[in-house]
Amino acid sequence: MDAQTAENTVNTVLGPVPAQELGVVAVHEALLSVVPGAEYAFDVTIDRAEIFETLAEKLKDFRGHGGGTIVDSTGMFHGRDVRLYEALSRTTGVHIVASTGQGPEEMLGGYFLTPQTNPPTPWPAEKFADLFTKEVTEGMVVPRVERRGAAGLVVTAATLAGMTATDESLFRGAARAALSTGVPVSIRFGNDAVRDLEVILDEKLPADRVVVGGLDRKDAVAVGAPLEVARRGAYVAIDHVGTEDERHLGDKERVALVAQLVEAGFGERILLSSSATGVAKGHDGNDMPYSYVLSTFAPLLKAQGLSDEDVQRILVDNPRELLSVR
Amino acid sequence: MPRVNTVLGPIPAEELGLVAVHEHIGYGMPGSELDTKWWKTPEQRYDETVPKLRRFHEYGGGTFVDATGICNGRDIDYYQSLSEKTGVHIVASTGFVGGDTALPFFARASVEYLAEHFIHEITVGIGDTGGKAGIIKVGVSRGGRMTDLDKRIYRAAARASKATGVGILTHLAIDAENAIAIFNEEGLPLDRVLFGHVDDGVNADKTRDTWIAEQGGRIGFDTFGYETELPDPPFWARPRKERLDHFLRFISGEGRIKQVLASADANCSPLGWPGVKGHTVNYIFEDLIPDLRAAGLDETAIKTIFVDNPADFLSIKN
Ligand SMILES: [Zn+2]
Repeated sequence: MDAQTAENTVNTVLGPVPAQELGVVAVHEALLSVVPGAEYAFDVTIDRAEIFETLAEKLKDFRGHGGGTIVDSTGMFHGRDVRLYEALSRTTGVHIVASTGQGPEEMLGGYFLTPQTNPPTPWPAEKFADLFTKEVTEGMVVPRVERRGAAGLVVTAATLAGMTATDESLFRGAARAALSTGVPVSIRFGNDAVRDLEVILDEKLPADRVVVGGLDRKDAVAVGAPLEVARRGAYVAIDHVGTEDERHLGDKERVALVAQLVEAGFGERILLSSSATGVAKGHDGNDMPYSYVLSTFAPLLKAQGLSDEDVQRILVDNPRELLSVR
Repeated sequence: MPRVNTVLGPIPAEELGLVAVHEHIGYGMPGSELDTKWWKTPEQRYDETVPKLRRFHEYGGGTFVDATGICNGRDIDYYQSLSEKTGVHIVASTGFVGGDTALPFFARASVEYLAEHFIHEITVGIGDTGGKAGIIKVGVSRGGRMTDLDKRIYRAAARASKATGVGILTHLAIDAENAIAIFNEEGLPLDRVLFGHVDDGVNADKTRDTWIAEQGGRIGFDTFGYETELPDPPFWARPRKERLDHFLRFISGEGRIKQVLASADANCSPLGWPGVKGHTVNYIFEDLIPDLRAAGLDETAIKTIFVDNPADFLSIKN
């Protein structure tokens, strides 16, 4: 660890934390996950005390299994509750990194898509860049009330059927915000991981400031996207660990994919996470515990022959490097 | 006795008085709450709003209908405090200004779910405020044609209107053939629908106001005051005289004065846009009613437009 690394910090909801203190990081999880609009639905109850209790339980379980830091990668418009996360972090001792950003297009409010101008031109990249940048430099918003601590990363996503023009504005805006603030970008791709990554790289953001999520999707693996993303120098997030469904690899295949990437020399580009939804409102979410990677998947990796060092690198060193503000 | 849902509870229709039928305490596109550029302190919001409502009350205004949709910054407990403190009755909306202001949760919802949601807000209440919606807002998304989502919202609104007896108020009356087809399919009498913004500067030419009236719909000239004469007019502004002439021409038709409503669509304190300086709900008293008198309308006609028609429209019919 050089002197530079020793001084690195990461933006958590309780303020900057020395990067070495993060411990094991789950880089792509959700704390409170609310489909935009569900907060107004007559049959959705948002009981913050109850939500706190549920999340605190899950975070303690994560910590109990050796977890140190949770990244809430839901962005600024999917239920993010910064004050609740501050209280959760204080109570459980788990570092919480919250994110700015939003996407894909379908998840945006009309303010960004059909503004009160004639014609109603959707927001360009520069305006998204400004919106996201301020969430890092001035703090994350509690809508219409106040700003709190700095966002630790910018997240965005492309439409599954393929990146739309507004998705591209979101990607470019996210890349510019990352470039100007030093926090990383986390993307979820549409129908082409490498092409979507290239949009970010086209903004001159160094590849090692980018994590591509969802690379345990079958369609991505089928075209060799995980290896190609690693070759470009970006982080490869295998971030549905524990999920067994039609769209994703199973854990057995995930283990093989990790081993393959390590073998190819990309051990320092791999990230693991479960996309657990701590509390979901307006959608089903999942019952995945944040501790799943530690409790269940890491032992599978070791059984496959990965060294303790390899596993440590994936769970601790790689996310630490990614999240360190540059 | 006919009753009307206000944010502070049902009132007899007889108590509504003069009604501003399409107004906004504060409107913002969904997502604008994330942009600090528009944020206002609560002090500022009350400061911009209370004097306008007080003046409205002093002028003889009775009821302020807030046509702000579910995701547009609608804020029921705030309206309740405003109403309680100023004495102005405030009627709130369920529904959406247009499909393009419905957030993903509702955009993905079925007609059945949307109807259930609207009915809940009308009969049980909005959130945990206890305030019930008194009208259903629907509208046409930007682009001039009803989208599939717009149509689902219209259909759900028709069902909720039939089930509860509250009326529907539309944002824009373009593409009315599609709207009326839906209302007819659902068996909703068209006098339960106020087709709004027929006088809008962008869309007036494409709006078949007399045809809608012939079908039995109510007609809203409800963007009075958005005039090209303003120092900084919005893109939907229209020359003052042109709008007034349009209105007078419309009500000169046989029986049409019974079908017409008028309002200013002003924001007391806009939430996600700068608003239009100098334009308030009190345009109704300060400009519109004097203009109508000058054009020869008598007090009975004015009462028909601003008191009797809205009372009939807002009364719960079941
Ligand atoms: Zn309006």
